[in-house]
Amino acid sequence: MFVQNAPADTTSYMLIGFALIFGTIGLYVLSLYVRSRNLKKDLAVLAEVEPRQED
Amino acid sequence: MDATPRGLKILTWITFGLFALASYAVLVYAPREAVMGDVQRVFYFHVAAGWVGALAFLVAVIAGVVYLVTKNRTWDTVGLSSIEIGVVFTFINIVTGSVWARPIWNTWWTWDPRLVTATVMELVYIAYLMLRQGIDDPDRRARFGAVYAIIGFLSVPLTFLSIRIFRTIHPVVIGSTDPGAEGSFDMTAKMLQAFMFSLITFTFIYVTLLWHRIQLQHQADRVGQEKARLLAD
Repeated sequence: MFVQNAPADTTSYMLIGFALIFGTIGLYVLSLYVRSRNLKKDLAVLAEVEPRQED
Repeated sequence: MDATPRGLKILTWITFGLFALASYAVLVYAPREAVMGDVQRVFYFHVAAGWVGALAFLVAVIAGVVYLVTKNRTWDTVGLSSIEIGVVFTFINIVTGSVWARPIWNTWWTWDPRLVTATVMELVYIAYLMLRQGIDDPDRRARFGAVYAIIGFLSVPLTFLSIRIFRTIHPVVIGSTDPGAEGSFDMTAKMLQAFMFSLITFTFIYVTLLWHRIQLQHQADRVGQEKARLLAD
């Protein structure tokens, strides 16, 4: 009667675990993308400023 | 403007494919564990994330030593990039461990040697990232980073060995016969295949992210140089 004969129902914890794994990796990749995009914008602005200074 | 190198593009797609396959392996291919149920599937990526954390911090040590010898700033970039990725994956390792522990140990957190040493290790490297921000001189910052990465690495073997030298309830899945460990299990052949494949996949993820992060740092350095040049004109 007290012997466990089926696996524990822990599916919800598995889903939380994988959501955290995929979410954290996804956020880090997104942060790399956003930082790269911002740096490209900075470079474009700097390239625009340079000819004006030469004028 | 720097375009993404062709090799990095190919590596990114390979890594993406491997990650999809590894997800299939752990979620579908590997059998459900007989006692713990589905939450055991978190174990594959939990250990793989811990492996990436340790590997990243080891690479930072090597980069630190090479920087101190050569004074080539590229190695500082490698060290910084590696530690940033290590912090992300150690975070994954800690939180997935906590999620696994809730149904198995009946608690989200316990003051177990493995959990404490892993958290201390994470904090040591978060401190590295924060302290770097406070140093303006690039050479001093790189020197500090190199020395910190070498000394901070002491926390990595301590974390790895904590479940082998202290009394702990954290399972040692590989090579353990400790009856005190709660949540240990024997891996079937399919489980072992999924586990090994996850380790390989996460190593690919690490290398890919490291390359992207180094590219990003080169971009940041170029912006810094351009700004300095404009201010000097």
